[in-house]
Amino acid sequence: MTEAIIQTMGVTKTFKGSTLPVVNGVSVSVDQGEVFGLLGPNGAGKTTTISILCGLFPPTSGNVLIDNKKLSEDLTDIKKIIGVVPQDIALYPTLTARENLNFFGNMHGVSGKVLKDKIELWLNNFGLSEAANKRVSTYSGGMKRRVNLIAGILHDPKILFLDEPTVGVDVQSRNVIIEHLKELNKKGMTIIYTSHHMEEAENFCTKVAIIDHGKIIAEGSPKQLISHYEGCENLESVFLHLTKRSLRD
Amino acid sequence: MKLKAAIIKEFLLLIRDRVGLAILFIMPMILIFVMTLIQDSAFKTLNEKGIPIIVVNNDPDSLGTDIENGLRASELCTVYDSVDGKPATEELAMKAVAEGQFLVGIVIPKGATEAVRKNVTQLVEQTLSTDSILSKSTLPDSVEIKIFIDPITKKSFIASVTSSLREFISGVKTKIMFRTFADQIEELIPDKKKTPLNAFDQTQIIKYTEVYASKSIGKIVPNAVQHNVPAWAIFAMFFIVMPLSGSIMKERTEGSIFRLNTMPSSYLTLITGKIIVYVIVCLLQLVLMLSVGTFFLPMLGLPVLDLGHSFTGIILISVATAFAATGYAVMVGTLASTEQQGAIMGALSILLLSALGGIWVPTYVMPQMMRNLSAYSPLNWSLEGFYELFLRGGDASTVTLAAVKLMVFFVITMIVAMVINKVRRRV
Repeated sequence: MTEAIIQTMGVTKTFKGSTLPVVNGVSVSVDQGEVFGLLGPNGAGKTTTISILCGLFPPTSGNVLIDNKKLSEDLTDIKKIIGVVPQDIALYPTLTARENLNFFGNMHGVSGKVLKDKIELWLNNFGLSEAANKRVSTYSGGMKRRVNLIAGILHDPKILFLDEPTVGVDVQSRNVIIEHLKELNKKGMTIIYTSHHMEEAENFCTKVAIIDHGKIIAEGSPKQLISHYEGCENLESVFLHLTKRSLRD
Repeated sequence: MKLKAAIIKEFLLLIRDRVGLAILFIMPMILIFVMTLIQDSAFKTLNEKGIPIIVVNNDPDSLGTDIENGLRASELCTVYDSVDGKPATEELAMKAVAEGQFLVGIVIPKGATEAVRKNVTQLVEQTLSTDSILSKSTLPDSVEIKIFIDPITKKSFIASVTSSLREFISGVKTKIMFRTFADQIEELIPDKKKTPLNAFDQTQIIKYTEVYASKSIGKIVPNAVQHNVPAWAIFAMFFIVMPLSGSIMKERTEGSIFRLNTMPSSYLTLITGKIIVYVIVCLLQLVLMLSVGTFFLPMLGLPVLDLGHSFTGIILISVATAFAATGYAVMVGTLASTEQQGAIMGALSILLLSALGGIWVPTYVMPQMMRNLSAYSPLNWSLEGFYELFLRGGDASTVTLAAVKLMVFFVITMIVAMVINKVRRRV
């Protein structure tokens, strides 16, 4: 039986000045080596949930266990085993890709030849070797996304949090990103992933949870969910069935 | 390794921000050049040839001639006796001064010498006479020398100029009075030995020597360079609030701080990287500004900056100032919510603190309330430290208190920044 690497128990987050919780009693369990997709419409609470799991801010209530460690007590140890790829490009635009990766790698505790080799490997894997010494500000959206991803995996994290890693990129870049993520997952990396691309999630994730209005409304493998809801042929139809067709802010 | 990476990153970000670098190095250099030249020029206007004066001498006798000749020989002014080619009259002189052609106009009335002589003669007669009626008679009217002043001239400048003119005219008048007294006494006491021609000069028994109360007496001469170079160097050092707070804000708005907050690195490591780079920048700024004062300003005919005799003192106050400026910038960058807010808050607060600190106007000319407030400006502590070294001939021991104050200020700003950062993350 596979051991759970992430467990959330009744996690709730209400921001200061607000009475409505953004995340409301979320309890999920992610096994080691899983690709866990957190899917939901805009404003459903996906990014807030990921931010809590990354230790960016504490939950208002509830508990989080990551690698059997309490998030509230062992945050520094937990930060060592996680990698985060934020939704927005979190890089220094006036630095080159190599300089950005060198800095973030060092901040993760990787340095010297090990870091240098990893940077070269990933730049090569993502087709960025030639542009590595150019400033990030001169990159296309797809190139920035790829550098943004590399910055989160340089230290070989046990758990990788990806907040919409393929948003705004072309099909080619998306395929390269997903292929490499699958490779990393094969090597044992647990991936927590949010996306609006239902087809991508259906093919990529081993387990998904659909979140709406801060609550988990469905959880299981894509196949389980599709078969569970009558008349649904794919994950997108399940998603629309559960979250309805009304527009969200 | 993390700190080294943070330092390298900060250094790279800084050298690629050309506008920021211009603010840090070129702006203060321009300020030093401009402000020193302006102030030096104002200083020269008052003390060297320069003040254009129109003299209307209606008294061709001793007083009028002595005043006019004396002014011509004086370093205080350049004397003119005609307006647009026409011989100056009282009306013409007043009009010319009113129109700004001359800063000052002097009108010596007709018969001024004769009036002084009459005055003295009568005074001598009264003094030596036993006749009570004669001794009670009133003196003739006094001589009125008119001084016209250009209305746009500042009050403090008028006071300096008129005071110098009055002193000069008074000297000439006293000399004539003395001569008349001597002549009168010779007439009254014919057997008396003749008063020597230089007798008046022998009466100048009170002499004034102005010595700057510096610890290295006679060596350091206060001038525009000695005042301006340290003042604007401090201003420039504190102006790192612009690029440094901007750098902190950019990390927040561009999202890199989001990533950094998920990494096993402390806020202190990141901030220490910034502090080290910007303290070095501050010290480089100071070296550049002192070099300007020592090597470049003299090329423009300005005095050479005298750095005093305490290198240790300079290091002490410079490092303390650099830390205080950096700490303040970190605090502003952490406190502000947006880049615009940080830029406005930083620039305005430094302008305010520099005004209070005596960078723009010396604290001794400020009202008491402002002087009390200036004691709380870190720029004032730093400026006092540099003045102690550059003007009063002090050493490391005399600037220690100022350095300690600046370091305490740095520690306080860092604590405030860390608390704000912690509070900001409690969403």
